[in-house]
Order: sequence, then structure tokens, then C-alpha cells
Amino acid sequence: MSLASGVTVTDECINKFNEFRLSHGKIKYIIFKISDDKKTVVVDDFGAESDYEVFLYDVEYDLGGGEGKRSKIIFISWVPTNVPTLWSMIYASTRENLRNALNVANSIHADDKSEIEWKAVLKEASGGKAN
Amino acid sequence: MNPSNPPQTAEYGGVTIHPSSLEHLLTYVASRLDEVSAIVLDPGYSTTRAGFAGEDAPKSLIPTYYGKYNADGQEKLIFGDDVFVTPRPGLSVHNPIGRDGIVEDWDMAEKVWEYSFTSRLTGAKASDPFHNGLNEIPSEELPTEMEVEADEKPLADSPLLMTEPGWNPAKAREKTIEIAMEKWGTPAFYLARNGVLSAFASGKASALVIDIGASNISITPVHDGMILKRGVQHSPLGGDYISSQIQAFSKTAVEAGQPPQAKYKTFPADKAPDASYRSLLEERTISEFKECVVQVWAGPNKLSATGPNGVSNEEVARTTPGRPFEFPDGYNQVFGVDRFRVTESLFDAKAAIPDPDSPFPAPTPSQTLPELIKASLAAVDVDLRPHLLANVVVTGASSLLYGFTDRLNHELMALYPGPRVRISAPGNTAERRFGSWIGGSILASLGTFHQMWISKKEYDEHGPNIVEKRCK
Repeated sequence: MSLASGVTVTDECINKFNEFRLSHGKIKYIIFKISDDKKTVVVDDFGAESDYEVFLYDVEYDLGGGEGKRSKIIFISWVPTNVPTLWSMIYASTRENLRNALNVANSIHADDKSEIEWKAVLKEASGGKAN
Repeated sequence: MNPSNPPQTAEYGGVTIHPSSLEHLLTYVASRLDEVSAIVLDPGYSTTRAGFAGEDAPKSLIPTYYGKYNADGQEKLIFGDDVFVTPRPGLSVHNPIGRDGIVEDWDMAEKVWEYSFTSRLTGAKASDPFHNGLNEIPSEELPTEMEVEADEKPLADSPLLMTEPGWNPAKAREKTIEIAMEKWGTPAFYLARNGVLSAFASGKASALVIDIGASNISITPVHDGMILKRGVQHSPLGGDYISSQIQAFSKTAVEAGQPPQAKYKTFPADKAPDASYRSLLEERTISEFKECVVQVWAGPNKLSATGPNGVSNEEVARTTPGRPFEFPDGYNQVFGVDRFRVTESLFDAKAAIPDPDSPFPAPTPSQTLPELIKASLAAVDVDLRPHLLANVVVTGASSLLYGFTDRLNHELMALYPGPRVRISAPGNTAERRFGSWIGGSILASLGTFHQMWISKKEYDEHGPNIVEKRCK
């Protein structure tokens, strides 16, 4: 067990994730956040623009060469550098808990918009094959 | 009012406390114990930081050095800032931690660490409330059924989170939990790697942490909240080494300023403090010099290299305005290019100023920062390298040297021209000096962290080895 905050992932997160996974692209993304009492990870579906959050994005990409369209779920953590240390610490130490609970292999950590440009996301999703 | 004298009855507003109300008070105190904050202890080579979890900075900051002298045939010890104050006869200064950052003298490490929290945080051990003179109770009214634990341990009420370097050996980790549990009686304990704490405090679960401390510079690759042990590198070219370089160059200083006009205090041979006391105080002055004057050549390229238009970097450095400094003896001087030279060997071993008297042997190329980073990244998985380079975290007090992060950035880009290099270094001085303490403070203050603590019960069941299983 690595060092972790112990913030727990609610069932709501898992259920929503399964819905997302089985929706075949109808749901494009889920945004998660840590509750204000710092105890649980909750779904922040409606959050339009939050300062710091973790979100999942279903990336659709085309490998070309007749292999058709593929899609992959990407785990993106977004903690910009101007976030107070308290929240940086809590998000960073909870990240692995959430990722393991959802069992998503591909992930990106971003603290700057350039790191979540389409090119970077596509590269992670396709393992560098599509561009 | 002298705090060591018990307050008179009149100072309680003339009210005598009745035993029954005392009992209420004790129940109240016991109920408050649940809310007692954990203590965070971040022991370094030069300073030991301790404070309550949830606070922004450590309340107790003491030198890890301690003093030892003989008085009336008895050995006496001095802890904390007092060690700087009085040059007692025969006073010698020691450090329980070795230059490699690992504890050498466990008995003394325990005492220094204990002083760091008992002096400012927990207070002295509680004494029996019926006999400490604070409560006047007629002897016939003394309740007999109440038992007060005779020998209360200093941390009996506080969980303790401690930090450690990434190369701390298993034996030392077990010894640490043993002291915390058995000597200090802490009810819960956790030992966290300071590299992971610094990475988390920057919001990153994966990062390449570059820590520039007093006795060591270290590179710790962290992935998904775990240190990658094979990639941990450290070398002794830290703040103390830079101080030794300053001493080396001040011996060869060419242009003399005003000669000092100070009157020195002299000691008769039998009253003189040990030489180690002098070097401790010298180090203090040099630290001030380091903070005010010294600068790192910001790059690109080494200080000895030639810039793009044929002018050597040293010439460019020479044209920057010098900085004045006055030493305590009155000697003062404006320092020019020399202030860049003393740090250059952190990046370029050949630039070291030779000094046969220095306690530090001349640095080898493999001890320099660029080589340590290379060795560290070579030991981790190829796929992780670009990710680590995009998340470089700089921490440690000596990283505050002016120009340090600029130079590091240039060196990293020269070493790894392909991947994107991004350095994050907190601009706030306290966050740089106390990075891992602050990280520990936040974690230990979270209500949800309780599942991570190793409880006394678990320790009793599994023994000190539990720290290896739980604190990875």
C-alpha cells in the first residue's frame, strides 16, 4: 500500500463509471471531485469549469488502414500549479485510489493546458499509434 | 510572574477547587484527547522540524546539532538554539545523523528529536496533579480510587508522522518505529518518504523530486505515489559542501578589503570550547553569506564555457554587479564573479575550488547534479522518463540559491533535448524549506488518514517489521 490520503471512493462513482463504460460513447466524460469535507470522492457531473478535478474522457480515434474506429477511456487528473498546497496534496494522494477503484490503465496528469491538448490525449489513448 | 512558582489560591480568583469539580475537569480533558492533533516530525541533518498536523509551518525548528560539556564531573547536554549561545569550557558540538542523512547515534537522535517536540509542542511530562503543587487539597479529602499513571510518556496522546529519506535502510526504519512506540508511547505512527510528500505537495503522484538539503542532494523518482527505489540517487554536495567551498575561496581571496578591526575574545586553554563549536558558528555566518551573496550561474552551459558571441561566461558573470557583505569582524568586501564560482561544482566537478583542509573530498563527476539525474533516470523504466521530466519538483532549502532552478532547467534541456522538461518549484520560501513537513502536516490532519496509521496494537502484534509492510 503506497502512501495515500485514505479518502474513499463512493459507490456512486463506481456506478456512474459503469454506466459511462457501457454507454458506448453516449456519455462522453465524467468529472469527479473530492467532497468539501475531504472525506470522499464524488461525481461532479455538472461541474462546468472547476479549478481542480479528476476526469475521465472517452477518446475515440481512428487508427486508419481499415482498422476502424477505436475508443479508449483516459483518466486525466487536473491540478494546476496555482491550486493551494492543501488541495494539491489531497488530490495527488487520492489519485491512485480512484484510478485503482475504476481500473483505468491509461492516464494523464496535467497542470497546464498544453498537457491535455488533443494531440497529447490521442497519443496516450492510442499508445502513440494514431496521430 | 515566574511560571515555575505555583500560582497562589488568590490567582484562581480565591476559589479552591473541590475534588469533585476536579473529577469533572479530568473527564473533560479525557474527552478532548480525541481531538488532539497528530505531531509531524521531519528530521534533517542541519535542522529538525516538528509541529502539529494541519498547521502551515513547523512550530518547532531546532538545530539537529547538540552540545556536550563537563560540569562538576558530570556530562551535560545542550539542545536547541542554546547550543549557539554560550561557549562553555570544553563544549563540543555533535550531530547524531551521519553525512549521508542516516542516523548514526540512535540514543542521541532520540534525545534531539524528543527535545524538538517536548520543548515547544507537548510540554514537559505531566506530573501527578495531586502532588505538583497546583491543587491544594486537604489530605483527608484525597480520593483514593483515582490512579494517575506515574510515568507518562511524552507522546502518549499524540499520533506521530515522521519523514525519512528514500535511502533509509530497513534497520533504521524499524529502529525509528521502536523509539516512537516504546520510548515515546505514541498511540499511532506513520513513516513517510520525504520525496513522496514533496511530490504530493506539488499536486503530483508521479514526479522526479530534486531535493537540495544541507548534507545531501538527492534525486527521487516517484511513480503513482511510490518511490522507485532503484532510481534514488544522492551525493554529499549539499549546502554544507557549498559552505566548504566558500571557506576554500575565502582563503585565496585576492583583493583584500579593509582589514578587520575587531577585538577578539580569547579563552585560556583550559576554558576554551572545542573546535567543533567554532565550526558550528562559522557555518552560521557562512549560511548568512550564502543567502545574501552566493549565486548559481544560470546558464546556458557551464561557467567555464564560452557564450554564443565568443565572450566567456565568466566574463559575463564578471560584468554583473557585485554584492557587498560585511562579516561580523568588520571585514567587508564586494563579491563579484567569485560568488558564482563557489556553487559551480554542483554542476561541474572540475570547477571545484581545491582545499586540502576541507572535510569534503574533492567532488567526483558522478556526484554532480546532472550525473545524478542521469543515473536516476537510467535506472527507471524507459516509458516513465518523459513523464518524470515533465514533472520535476525542486525542494530543499539550498535550492533557494539564486539562479538554481534556471541552471537546472538549462542542464536538463541539454541532457534531454527531446522530451519536454518542466520544473515546478514553489515560489514560497517556507514551502521550499519545509516541503516534506508541510506535506506530512496536511496528510496527518486528514480525518480519512486514520486507516493508514500503524496502531500500537498492530505494532505489539507484528513487531517493528510492520513498518516495512505498511509504509512503502
